[in-house]
Amino acid sequence: MAIDPKDIVELPAPVMTRAEAAYLPEVIKGFGTTLRHFVTSFGQGRTSRTIQYPEQRRDDYPVVEGGLETRNFRGVHRLNRDENGRVKCVACMMCPTLCPANCIHIEAAESPWDDREKYPKKFEIDELRCIYCGMCEEACPVDAIELTPMYDVVGLSRQEMVFDKDKLLSVYDATIDRKPM
Amino acid sequence: MDAPSFLTAQFIASVVVILIVVHMLLGAAGMSIYFERKISAYIQDRIGPNRVGFDFGQPWLSFLKGMWGLGQFLADGLKMLLKEEYSPKGADRALFNLAPMVVVIPALIGFAVIPWGGVLSLPETITLPLIGWTIPGGDVLIAGANVNVGIIYILAVASLGVYGIVLAGWASNNKYAFLGSLRASAQMISYEIPLGLSLLTALLMVGSLMPEEMIRHQSSEAWLILSQPLAAIIVFICFLAEANRTPFDNAECEQELVAGFHTEYSSMRFGLFPLSEYAHVAAGSAIFTLLFLGGYHLPLGLIGAGEGHLLSPENTSIPAMLAKFHVFIFKTLAIIFLVILVRWTIPRLRFDQVMQSAWNTVIPLAIVIVVVTAVMIHLGYRSTGAMLLANAGITVFALGLLPILPRRGGANNRKVRLAGSRFSPLEGETVRTSPVSAFAREDRPVESTLPVHSG
Repeated sequence: MAIDPKDIVELPAPVMTRAEAAYLPEVIKGFGTTLRHFVTSFGQGRTSRTIQYPEQRRDDYPVVEGGLETRNFRGVHRLNRDENGRVKCVACMMCPTLCPANCIHIEAAESPWDDREKYPKKFEIDELRCIYCGMCEEACPVDAIELTPMYDVVGLSRQEMVFDKDKLLSVYDATIDRKPM
Repeated sequence: MDAPSFLTAQFIASVVVILIVVHMLLGAAGMSIYFERKISAYIQDRIGPNRVGFDFGQPWLSFLKGMWGLGQFLADGLKMLLKEEYSPKGADRALFNLAPMVVVIPALIGFAVIPWGGVLSLPETITLPLIGWTIPGGDVLIAGANVNVGIIYILAVASLGVYGIVLAGWASNNKYAFLGSLRASAQMISYEIPLGLSLLTALLMVGSLMPEEMIRHQSSEAWLILSQPLAAIIVFICFLAEANRTPFDNAECEQELVAGFHTEYSSMRFGLFPLSEYAHVAAGSAIFTLLFLGGYHLPLGLIGAGEGHLLSPENTSIPAMLAKFHVFIFKTLAIIFLVILVRWTIPRLRFDQVMQSAWNTVIPLAIVIVVVTAVMIHLGYRSTGAMLLANAGITVFALGLLPILPRRGGANNRKVRLAGSRFSPLEGETVRTSPVSAFAREDRPVESTLPVHSG
């Protein structure tokens, strides 16, 4: 569909002054800008905003200074424990149903405890497949699965990055101080 | 037994200088990449490479860890060497392999005529130790080659680099590479004309093609950048264009072409292209220093005043040679810094702008400068002041000519109204373009384009 001519605006190019048309004075002004930044940020100076990652972390800074917001950061998952230290999950299958990446695999079994009918015999999350959308966290009716502010997990194989129930519970133990339930 | 006739003190000096300078140049090309990354990082308020030191993962070398990333160029070079050599199907293998060499060699041999340390006086005859040959000595020039046609040699070598680029694009059997090489060749050939004309201006001032003679002239009168500033600027621009540096890096502009003429290259064959670019930059800076910045001469008489001071061409002792060498290198490094600064300051010219600025601006200006200089020298006005006045006159003349020249393009931008557009907002809408964030600097005026609807 052609554009209606009455919708088209004619924008004249800004007229250059004679000094601007000569190009060189503007170039020298530009040198001023770059040199100023060169001087002010030299050796991680005043205008430098870099965080030297492995030594300094965003976690160590207040949020207003560019630090990490731990309350809603979507990192590696954890499986929460209840007050008795048992896994909180009731194997309701909400999260694997909702998961857009199909990365959660649960095998439910009859619960050995009296307060619920089912519990997850196996609970595996493929952290490489996960897109960290946080839908599992929202779907969970008992707040058992949560995303944590932990983001620096590595593995030497793909298999290693499939987190099972024990590992997810250990993530809970590692992050409960930084992100309370 | 007599020494062979070619073996003179100058020959030995040339060999020594070439051996030193070629290695220095290759090192400088590697280090230029590091400095380019570091300087660009600081300009953009980043840090740049700061992890790779010289500890090579050895615990006992851990005191060499970090080192402001100085080991980066070793790591980069090693990475280049270890990558797979790949040549595309349908490529002309012979030319494909030849092209990087053809690019590198002119960049490396351009250095041969630079008189790094001036003249060194040796005894009339020298007896070589161990061999016992007696060779003629006398004054030797601390340069790769003591030739009378130095400046013409520089011009000739500078033009050779384009062959490698054309070959690389042609032999790759790739349209993108070919486009890049065509752009590069058109640009390099265009900028050779003003380069030659401006060098001619310098030659008219000096009256000699010998590099040593140019420094002698500049130390007895004034640096040529003072008497011929316009020619100096033009030569600098042309060296940027010859080296394919921004704002003239159309040959490989990353944002427009796939990669330019070296699209199909990998491994060290690719590594030779950046190497040659930085060698070009270093060579161009050295030649600029020689032509316009007085070579090894410093005007202040810092180290003893008068004719016999350490940096005067008449002083031919060994300490004078070393001092001159260092001054020369320092000036060259300063120009390299300027070249890097240009890259991170000025946006790339569009290809038609490159051609326009060459044929409509730089070449006419260079011709005017040459003619005016020639006439003035013929009439006997060869003093610095007169030349400076002439340059000022040419500048005023050119600026006065600007408004009556036909305007290029002239067509208005045609846009459709868009909500939130800075340039063509909707009717009755004003778009705020001033900084809204406290972090915005005054030189980043467009922090966001929040549409503010009024009424």
